[in-house]
Amino acid sequence: MYGGGYIFDKLQDNQVNDDPEKLLLFEERIARGEKIEPRDWMPFDYRRQLIRLIEQHAHSEIIGALPEGTWITRAPGFKRKLALIAKVQDEIGHGQLLYSAAETLGKSRENMINDLLNGKSKYSNVFNYPAETWADVTVIGFLIDAGAIINQITNSKGSYAPYCRALERICYEESFHLKQGHEGLVFLATGTFVQREMLQDALNRWWEPIMHFFGPPDKASVHSEKLMKWKVKMASNDDMRQEFLNTYVPKIWELGLTLPDPKLKKNTETNKWEYTEPNWETFWQVINGNGPCNKERLKVRMWAEEHGRWVRDALKTNQLTQSVPLA
Amino acid sequence: MHSIKNLLYNIADDLLIMGHRHSEWTGLGPILEEDISFSSLAQDKIGLAYQIYKILNETEKEDLPDRIAFLRNESQYRCCQFVELPNGEYDFSLIRHFLFDHAMDLRFRMFGKSNYQPLSFLSRKTAGEMKYHILHADIWIKQLGNNNEISHVRMQKAIEVAFPYSLGMFETFPFEKELIELGIYQGEQEIKISWLEKISMILKEANFNLPDPEKIKPVFGGRTGNHTGFLKPLLEEMNEVYSSDPETEW
Amino acid sequence: MSSLDPRINRLELPQIPGGEILKNQEHWITYEVFHIKKRGDHPVHVGCVHAPHPDLALVFAKEQYGRRLACVSLWVCKSSDIHAFSMEDEDMFYSAVSDEKKYRDASGFKVRDKINKFKKGNSDALV
Ligand SMILES: [Fe+2]
Ligand SMILES: [Fe+2]
Ligand SMILES: [Fe+2]
Repeated sequence: MYGGGYIFDKLQDNQVNDDPEKLLLFEERIARGEKIEPRDWMPFDYRRQLIRLIEQHAHSEIIGALPEGTWITRAPGFKRKLALIAKVQDEIGHGQLLYSAAETLGKSRENMINDLLNGKSKYSNVFNYPAETWADVTVIGFLIDAGAIINQITNSKGSYAPYCRALERICYEESFHLKQGHEGLVFLATGTFVQREMLQDALNRWWEPIMHFFGPPDKASVHSEKLMKWKVKMASNDDMRQEFLNTYVPKIWELGLTLPDPKLKKNTETNKWEYTEPNWETFWQVINGNGPCNKERLKVRMWAEEHGRWVRDALKTNQLTQSVPLA
Repeated sequence: MHSIKNLLYNIADDLLIMGHRHSEWTGLGPILEEDISFSSLAQDKIGLAYQIYKILNETEKEDLPDRIAFLRNESQYRCCQFVELPNGEYDFSLIRHFLFDHAMDLRFRMFGKSNYQPLSFLSRKTAGEMKYHILHADIWIKQLGNNNEISHVRMQKAIEVAFPYSLGMFETFPFEKELIELGIYQGEQEIKISWLEKISMILKEANFNLPDPEKIKPVFGGRTGNHTGFLKPLLEEMNEVYSSDPETEW
Repeated sequence: MSSLDPRINRLELPQIPGGEILKNQEHWITYEVFHIKKRGDHPVHVGCVHAPHPDLALVFAKEQYGRRLACVSLWVCKSSDIHAFSMEDEDMFYSAVSDEKKYRDASGFKVRDKINKFKKGNSDALV
């Protein structure tokens, strides 16, 4: 899933002095629309920010497997049961692809997972919320995956080749997630009174996390200019949020469902969506570990690593140097 | 119960419950790559169970697959107790996968020659899938047997726990004889003999000891609806949403 | 703490110790994966897997790269066994597309104009 709302480090220009000649060639290459490959020269900060970006995305995938995993053993009927397992499996697969892309930049998967567990590295905030009912699975599958697709298609046009290649494959699978999420949601919306109520309740609960998904408003973000020039960040948070609202709000409304924001509407003059700002204080609270499920998510990941250790150790290789994927 | 139905319920229930147990590992596997591989095993088993319930529905006039799977209670289930047991750690899950899939593979090879056409058809369709399951199981067993002391001890223990239960996969049932006479398949005993041969060979290669099957009391009961205490909560969990309103579409 | 996920409730969740939890190489080494779409096709690089040895690398590759993409076989090899030119040397390959090397390319050989001219000359002569 889902790399929304990335947290970038502050850029520290004066900390590193990249060779100006090489920097120029590098920036020209990007401006020509060419991709950067792992063994190319790259500015220190480019590498650092990309590792951060891709590793957060990878964490979001494997942690994102958990809220929906909540319903794996309870999915109603064969079709939903199989599709949900396949979807959660895909998310783990996305994590695998993304960690590999990040590894080409020189950080090992082990260290990335260490930084996830010790809280140094973040993941998408939405996954710190619980999936309370079956309807949550359909809301996540439809709306969060929709957000993810917007985010990932945008990022797939970026400059770092391994990330783009991974995203190409991921986007293809996400379109299946979106379809199955939408189908599940439509079945509830057009089903019994109880099913509709369950769905409406899930929408109400997930709306704020979804509004948080693309990250704080642009005016609050300080360091995107250089990242945009380097094609690390490909679109502004607000632009992606607008695109999301424009495509998906009508698909919720056409089912006679509501979203818990009385101000939400498209301004026909500006062609922009207007909405109530979600509470950004909550966003920061959750990022910093105080959301409803942060602790559980990390502990579950810790459990998986810990209980898998004897299996991995049994098959330990005796290669001494770190092994880095090629592309 | 009509004889063929009996057989179909046995296998489909085994597959569904096994797949359900496997799916509990999705997202929690020992390494991402294995998480993905094991999740496919879960899907393939549940998918195959569905295919067999479909035969029950379309050819044998039983209820719809979803209703068969999600509305029966534990005494109506015909799975062996082996598949009901909780996953435990990865050692037990892997050994169970190994023992179960070899039996299922041999069973389906036998079905390839069945004169019950829906089964012989299904056997051909799933041959490739089965091959992969066996490959996956065998590689793991060999690796964990031959590499280090800790994993060897863990796996050997798991084999000893799993083995008596695994013999329950071949528990006879009232119509078995009739099915053999009708040429539907050669019966549980035949599968068990080839299975023992196959798994002993691989376990030996991996330096494990298989307990003497003559001295082990198989854990039977599943085929007559007698189950461990684990099946009831498993089914309640699985059916929670579906049975809250079986008349609607989910 | 009770989870909404019954699967999780059956686990005993650990505390998270600080510091380095996973040791380097704990996730084994990387293998590059090549994918053969159908008989007759070239193998194409599709990504990598972490694995301890080639057998398991193949099994993992099969599920990670073969469960959705149509394919008939896969190759794997250790990432460290691949030898590659540096991307910085891409100018070395320029000659393949340069105008001066047209003599190696079909587009460097054009006869249609000549033939047409010749035909025209002949038909003129016949009149
Ligand atoms: Fe994603
Ligand atoms: Fe994903
Ligand atoms: Fe997804």
